[in-house]
Amino acid sequence: MNYLNQLSWSDARDLLRTWRDNNDRKSEEVLHLWKSVLEYNLNKLGGEKFSVLEQVCLAALDCYHIPTVDYCIKLLSNEFPSSLRVKKFYAMRLEAQECYDDALKVLDALIKKDETNNAPRKRKIAILKAQGRSVEAIKELVDYLKIFMADTEGWQELSDLYIAEQDFNKAAFCIEELILHNPHNHLLHQRYADIRYTQGGYDNLELARAYYCQALKLNPNNLRALYGVYLTSSNIASSPKCTANKKKESLKLTEWALSEIKNKYSTVKDKYTDSNLEDRLSITKFFI
Amino acid sequence: MSDLVVDSQIRGWVFLPIVVITFLVGILRHYISILLASQKKIEPQQLQDSQMILRSRLLRENSRYLPRSSFLMRRHFFNNEESGYLTQKRPPVTQNVMTDPTMMTDMLKGNVTNVLPMIIIGGWINWMFSGFITTRVPFPLTLRFKPMLQRGIELMHLDASWVSSASWYFLNVFGLRSIYALVLGENNGADQARQMQDQMSGAAMAMPPDPKVAFKAEWEALEIIDHQWSLNDLESHILSSLSNCS
Repeated sequence: MNYLNQLSWSDARDLLRTWRDNNDRKSEEVLHLWKSVLEYNLNKLGGEKFSVLEQVCLAALDCYHIPTVDYCIKLLSNEFPSSLRVKKFYAMRLEAQECYDDALKVLDALIKKDETNNAPRKRKIAILKAQGRSVEAIKELVDYLKIFMADTEGWQELSDLYIAEQDFNKAAFCIEELILHNPHNHLLHQRYADIRYTQGGYDNLELARAYYCQALKLNPNNLRALYGVYLTSSNIASSPKCTANKKKESLKLTEWALSEIKNKYSTVKDKYTDSNLEDRLSITKFFI
Repeated sequence: MSDLVVDSQIRGWVFLPIVVITFLVGILRHYISILLASQKKIEPQQLQDSQMILRSRLLRENSRYLPRSSFLMRRHFFNNEESGYLTQKRPPVTQNVMTDPTMMTDMLKGNVTNVLPMIIIGGWINWMFSGFITTRVPFPLTLRFKPMLQRGIELMHLDASWVSSASWYFLNVFGLRSIYALVLGENNGADQARQMQDQMSGAAMAMPPDPKVAFKAEWEALEIIDHQWSLNDLESHILSSLSNCS
C-alpha cells in the first residue's frame, strides 16, 4: 500500500472514482487514501465530495474505524439532514458495533417512512443473518423478494441461506431465477448443477450433468464444471436405472472429461514448479 | 434594394437585454422548480407490478435455459386461472385527477413554473420592446417565414430575413437550451422545450397506470410460449464434436 502515499489528491480522487464505478470493495486502501490525502483536501472535491464521503464511510465501517465513520456521518447529515440514505449509515454504524436491536429499530423506522426503499430492508436481513437467525432472515428475505422480484442480489442471498439450511429445492429455485436474469454466466449454471448433484437421484444427476455441460460450453476453462461432468457421468453410468445406450454415452463422457482434466493439469504443471505448488496449496489451506 | 441600417442603440437596449432577461428568467425558473419539486411517491403495489412484469418478460426470453418443470411452475404462478398474478382481479383504479389533491398541486406547480412566466414575461417583452427590428439571419428566407420571424411588425416589403424583437424573444426561449445545460447541468428545470414535451404527454402520464392492460398482454405472450430446453442433448453434442475432432 506504499504506492498510495505518493498520490496527489486529484489522483486519489480518480482512483476512488474508478473503484466506486467498478464496485470494488478495497476498504483498507480507501481508508488509507482518506487518511493520507483526502481528509485535508475534502473541499477541493466539489460535487463529488459526498459520494466520496459515502464510500469512505462504508470503508471505515468495514475496517471498524468508528471515529472516521462518525466524522463522515456528521458531515453527510449536516448537508442532508433528513436523508434516509444517511440514516441508513447511522444504522450500519450501530450494526458494526453489534447494537443490533438499536439498529433494527432505526431501520424499522426507515422502512415505515418509505416503503419502496429497498436498502434498509436489505440491511435488516443482513443483521438477521449476522445474528445467525437464518430462519427469520429467510422469512424476511422472502417477504422482500415478493415486492422486489427483480433484485438479483436478493435471490443470490436467499439461495445461499437455503443452502445453509439444506433446503436444496428452494435454493435451486433461486438459482433458476438468477439464470433467467443472467443466462450467460457460467458460474450460475455451475452452481445450479452443484445443487442438483448434491440432491442426488438419477433425474437430478442428469440435470446436473446438462448444466455442467452448459457451464463448460460458456467457459471451457471451468475446471469445476469439468470435474462435475466427470462425477455425474460416472455416477449415471453406474446407476441401475441407466439404459445400455446411455451407459455407453456416459462412459464416453467420463473418459473425455478425465482426459480433459489431465490435459489441463499437465499444461499447468509446466508453468509452475512443484515447490511453488506446495506454497499455493498452503495458501488455499489458509483460506479454508 | 439598399440595405437597412439598424440603429446601434437597438443592440444595446433591445437585442442584448432580451437575451439577458430570458437567460436570467430561465435560471430563476430552474431554482423555483427545485424549491417546489416534490418527490413522486411510488406505491409498493406499483413497484411490485413493474418488477413482476420484468420478471415474466425475462421468463419469456430466457426460459430455454430452465428445465421444463421449472418453467411450467413459473408459468403456473403467473398464469393460473384462480390465483395467478397476471390473471388476478383488481378493484378498478379510479383515481380522478380532479379529486386527488396531490395531482392538483403537481399541476399547479407545473403551471406556476412554466406557463405563468412564459405568459407574463412574453407579454411584458412584447409590450416593452414591441416594433423593433433586432437582427437579421445571414441567409435569405422565403415569405413564409415572415410570421415566424417578424411577429409584431406587419411590413409587406421587409425582407424575410430580418428578425423582430418579439420573435427574437421566442428564438431565445427555445434556443438557450444548450446554454442552460452548460450552466445548470443536464436535466435542469429551465429547459422549457423539455417541459413542453412533458406537457404534451402529460395527459397520458397523469393517467393512473392501469396494470390490467399490461398484464393481459403479458399473460397472452406467456401463454403461447412453447418451451424448448436448450440444454437438451448437450452431452451428445459435446460427444459428436469430439468424434469429429478426432
